[in-house]
Amino acid sequence: MTDATTELKVTAASDIEVDNEALDGSIREFAEVNGDYYVKAFHKIHDNTGFLPATFNLWAAVVGPMWAASRAVWGMFWGFLILEIIAWVQIGRGLWGTPGAEFLERAASQAETMQRRLDQAAAATDDATRERFTQLADNMQRAIDTNMERVELAQAEASGIMLTGLAMLVVFKLIQGFYANTVYEKQYSRWRIDPDSTESGRSTRNIVLGAVLTLAIAPLVIYRFTVNASMAVLETFPEQQISTLILGEGNGTLFGAVASWMEARIDGAALAGDDVFDGIVSGVRTVLDGLTVALNGSPWPVVMVVIAVTAWRAAGPRVAIFTVAAMAYTALLGYWALAMETVALVGAAVLLCVVIGIPLGIWFGKSKRAYRMAEPVLDLMQTLPAFVYLIPIIAFFGTGNPPGILATIIFGMPPVIRLTALGMRGVPESIKEAAVAFGASRWQLLKDVEVPLALPSIMTGVNQTILMCLSMVVIISLIGGGGLGQEILEALQFAAKGPGLLGGFAILFLAMVMDRIVQGAFRRKDQQD
Amino acid sequence: MSETVVKLTDVWKIFGDRAEEAMSAVKSRDIGKPEVLSEFQCVVGVQGATFEVARGEIFCIMGLSGSGKSTLVRHVNRLIEPTAGTIEILGQDVSTMSKGDLRRVRAQQIGMVFQHMALMPHRSVRENVAYPLEIRKIPKSKRWAVSDHALGLVNLTGYEDRLPRELSGGMQQRVGIARALASDPEILLMDEPFSALDPLIRLQLQDQFKALVAQLKKTTLFITHDLDEAIRIGHRIAIMKDGVIVQIGTPEQIVMEPADDYVREFVQGISKLKLVKAHSIMQSLGEHQGSLDGAPRADHSADLDQLIDLAVTTDLPVVITEDGTDVGIVTKPRLLRGIQGGKDD
Repeated sequence: MTDATTELKVTAASDIEVDNEALDGSIREFAEVNGDYYVKAFHKIHDNTGFLPATFNLWAAVVGPMWAASRAVWGMFWGFLILEIIAWVQIGRGLWGTPGAEFLERAASQAETMQRRLDQAAAATDDATRERFTQLADNMQRAIDTNMERVELAQAEASGIMLTGLAMLVVFKLIQGFYANTVYEKQYSRWRIDPDSTESGRSTRNIVLGAVLTLAIAPLVIYRFTVNASMAVLETFPEQQISTLILGEGNGTLFGAVASWMEARIDGAALAGDDVFDGIVSGVRTVLDGLTVALNGSPWPVVMVVIAVTAWRAAGPRVAIFTVAAMAYTALLGYWALAMETVALVGAAVLLCVVIGIPLGIWFGKSKRAYRMAEPVLDLMQTLPAFVYLIPIIAFFGTGNPPGILATIIFGMPPVIRLTALGMRGVPESIKEAAVAFGASRWQLLKDVEVPLALPSIMTGVNQTILMCLSMVVIISLIGGGGLGQEILEALQFAAKGPGLLGGFAILFLAMVMDRIVQGAFRRKDQQD
Repeated sequence: MSETVVKLTDVWKIFGDRAEEAMSAVKSRDIGKPEVLSEFQCVVGVQGATFEVARGEIFCIMGLSGSGKSTLVRHVNRLIEPTAGTIEILGQDVSTMSKGDLRRVRAQQIGMVFQHMALMPHRSVRENVAYPLEIRKIPKSKRWAVSDHALGLVNLTGYEDRLPRELSGGMQQRVGIARALASDPEILLMDEPFSALDPLIRLQLQDQFKALVAQLKKTTLFITHDLDEAIRIGHRIAIMKDGVIVQIGTPEQIVMEPADDYVREFVQGISKLKLVKAHSIMQSLGEHQGSLDGAPRADHSADLDQLIDLAVTTDLPVVITEDGTDVGIVTKPRLLRGIQGGKDD
């Protein structure tokens, strides 16, 4: 340290000379071809303090997107390919299009009519008739004139369109010329950070790729928009013809074949797994029946008091008052039994979600590999529109409340799984290590450290699951689910505005009460800890 | 010293998927760290660490971040599995122990304190301290009594029912120490316990900790990246660099006889006043021509600080005695050189 051989000098920032050699070498390495040109261009860009770039890349301006492709600046390639095609379409419309074609047609037919009138006039025997036909012919002549004027106007407009197209093209070329080097310099900066995944230099492969893309896209698009009459093949996808080609004449379409194949498979699977599916349904029904007995079987005053007291204990007086008001609304409007059925449905679904979801979440939180495998499935469960999986559910489980609950579980379970896994992964390594260092077994670690520390996240998951399950209540009425959802569905079918809104509010209040009670309960628990 | 409590013999740790292959390659071909990385994509964490710690000793392991000191100490309770070598605690081989036995050793014989406290945020201070006992399924009444006693040892009586987040950093770390002491373990593993604290609190805790350990006679492995801390606390210090133990010795040995340039660079800035003892700088009696009458006398184990106090009172050299007989002298130039760190005249 003391016998440092290199002497260090402190220099003011303004006095520091830019060491160009290393930079130049690196730019040359990046550009591969035409290194010297890009060294100069990049230096100009680096020295530039104004807004406009001080360089102009002639090649980028002339060949446009092809330059971008050759240099693998794909964003620029696509952007300016589209813009240039738009410009070319304008030019094409001006050059080869037949503007005012409809007016020309009209004028032609009018000329025919006029000729007929003139003939009629010539063949007329008395003056009055001749006069009348000549008059009509004159009128026609005037109409033809107007149309011809319109045609001329349209043709004049056509040259306008062409000029606009040309102007656009020039502007786009100029922009490319001016900004090509700036964009390329950005790519160079990215390349310096990450040389492995950023393309550099000029490669034949990219030029060919760019050319192929341009040739595949540009002519068809320009043809389609320029020429009025177009090929039918380009308008709609020829799926009929392809079906005939594959299946042979008169054998229906591909769609029909695949759909009937799937139907057969599903029917077969449903038949084969009959016992399993029946078992699942009866299991779900047991849970549901238990809840229904508790909520709808017990005398209504008991249920109301229990709910109100729960709200009070869990979330405080304000939520309790709101709960009582919501219960009064449902009871007074005659929704009580239906509302309790809905609560039983949602309750059964949430219960099953939690019982299945939390252990799964814990597993996924601990095993990265399991989570990677499960993640696409979870995504699918959440993104697949509910209407889509209602169909297989009907096929396998039939209709009614238990299949409805199964559909609800599919939609509602991902949040509790995800957030449990997230919570498990969020437990600080150091605390886990401490527990292990004091001799905790895996089970003790889980119950004393991981689950308690993940609990806030797990509870958020449960809360979200409850809300997602509630949102399915209306949808499952489509496959025979009961409760308030059915009420709404009926109102929808008859466009009954009043009943629909009242039922909707009942569901809304239900959701709010559940949400508040659950949230309040969790918040209190946090405060106790 | 007395009975050996912790004994590590040629412990290696290689991280990576091909650690076993790399290990056998190291054993057979004697390749180094860079070759292991390039050939097997494995990182060598600890290279052939061997040391013993005696009962009641505070053994500091000192090194910069990445030197493998935390990795090394985690082998003692096998939070990290060694790739090779044996680890013995009180004569038992930890490295071959069954999972159940290992948990018992961790719970009863080893207490650990972590740099970032690692207290459970949802439990009170008392329940945090009692957790090692809870793992051993000791009844709650007993747990609470032990826990309160341990908290008393670190002067935290009155904070039992608080949550960790209500306490300052220094207090939290005292809770961590109390937790490590709760199951009355033989061994304490301290993983940079005071590094995250501010300097004044750190000094206080170092003194308290040293007194506590002396009183309780715990065998301690103390990790730190701060040489001052190691010298203040440790009976012996091991200096680690890149996974290798470069030198093991008492603070005095480390400072006076650094094993290589790396250690020398470290000890340069360390004050020697309290470290260097008279016997290590004294000259033979014959060095002084003339009378030594009236010269101040000091025991051979007196440190430089004490020698300076004596030297300022007289122009004569200080006479060093051992068991009452004169064994040598320390002249003023010698003393000044000693303060500089044993530079030769």
